[in-house]
Amino acid sequence: MDVRKDRVGLGWRPDLAASIFEHLESIDILEVIADDFFDGSRRERRALKTLSSQIPVVLHGVGLGLASCESVQTKRLDKMARLFEEVRPEFWSEHLAFVRAGGIEIGHLAAPPRTSQNVEATAENLSRAISVVGSRPLMENIATLVDPPGSTFSEAAWVSAILEAVDCNSLLDLHNVYANAVNHGYDAREFLKKIPSSRVRAIHIAGGKLISAPDGSTRLLDDHLHDVPDPVFDLLEEIAGCSPHPLTVILERDGAYPPMPHLLAQIQRARLYLERGRARRTATQKRFA
Amino acid sequence: MNTSAFETFLARIYVDTNARARFKADPYAEAKHAGLSPDECAAIMKIDWVGLELATRSFAKKRDAKARPIRPSLRARVLGFLCRVLDFFP
Repeated sequence: MDVRKDRVGLGWRPDLAASIFEHLESIDILEVIADDFFDGSRRERRALKTLSSQIPVVLHGVGLGLASCESVQTKRLDKMARLFEEVRPEFWSEHLAFVRAGGIEIGHLAAPPRTSQNVEATAENLSRAISVVGSRPLMENIATLVDPPGSTFSEAAWVSAILEAVDCNSLLDLHNVYANAVNHGYDAREFLKKIPSSRVRAIHIAGGKLISAPDGSTRLLDDHLHDVPDPVFDLLEEIAGCSPHPLTVILERDGAYPPMPHLLAQIQRARLYLERGRARRTATQKRFA
Repeated sequence: MNTSAFETFLARIYVDTNARARFKADPYAEAKHAGLSPDECAAIMKIDWVGLELATRSFAKKRDAKARPIRPSLRARVLGFLCRVLDFFP
């Protein structure tokens, strides 16, 4: 992956397909959910290949469950490897999550207990994934409504330990950072300071909504159905101000789709906050030069 | 701690309504019954109960959504068709 400038793009969703094609000139890059194409027809996979010839494409996995003491399933890894080979994306990514254990499918991304045993097992899974796919994935932090019990690492320390163990870079989901900070009572900016900014290569931005809990409190649900909130744009400026590498920013939207100009306005706003962060970084470098 | 057993236990209470109800009624007994050590039982009993409730609801919604066939909306399909037609006649 040889990316030389910051880029802002969008998550590919079938509902948005026609609008995306109408506005390709305003979108730098598309992120495609890899699992949606694992068992796709030849026609669908050919369409994806055609898409990748028109605009840079990256693949995003959601079902490998790499952050687990359970070994990653060979069948799924092989499917990812085959798709990677066919599409030749700029990079691929997956989540620091477990999605199954003991034969039970959770159906979504869950935060595992953050222990040294989990760090070792995740590193083993990642090493296997790198070997089978032939490329290092960017690993994404997840949002969790329940702080995993039995954890001996903070989230930032756990993420950093895994990235370090396998020399992988990070896809930093800023709404996940924000949601976890709101739900588990910490400062999102402090979290950013504790993870290695030199490993951040890609960013997810999204929106969510406050939901009521049975005890009358509220939690922030990362549902990807709402606009990106202001604090997430502020975090984007923050990370752009300290990351030494070009960043690929992806706007994620999974439903309740607004008209395309509305999504493009959020993409444009992300560009603005990226530029602001970069300007701050340049100013700081000049001051200390 | 045996994180593998712990992950399996978490997966079960996230997905299995009956196991979750038994766990809520008697957390230590359910965790012990699942083979967790006394230390692991003590750790799981510190779970954020409100977070657990909300997380299980969220996981259930995701599983339901996955069970439904994914199909672009009528608007998206019509627009896609129009784009293909316009592309064919530049």
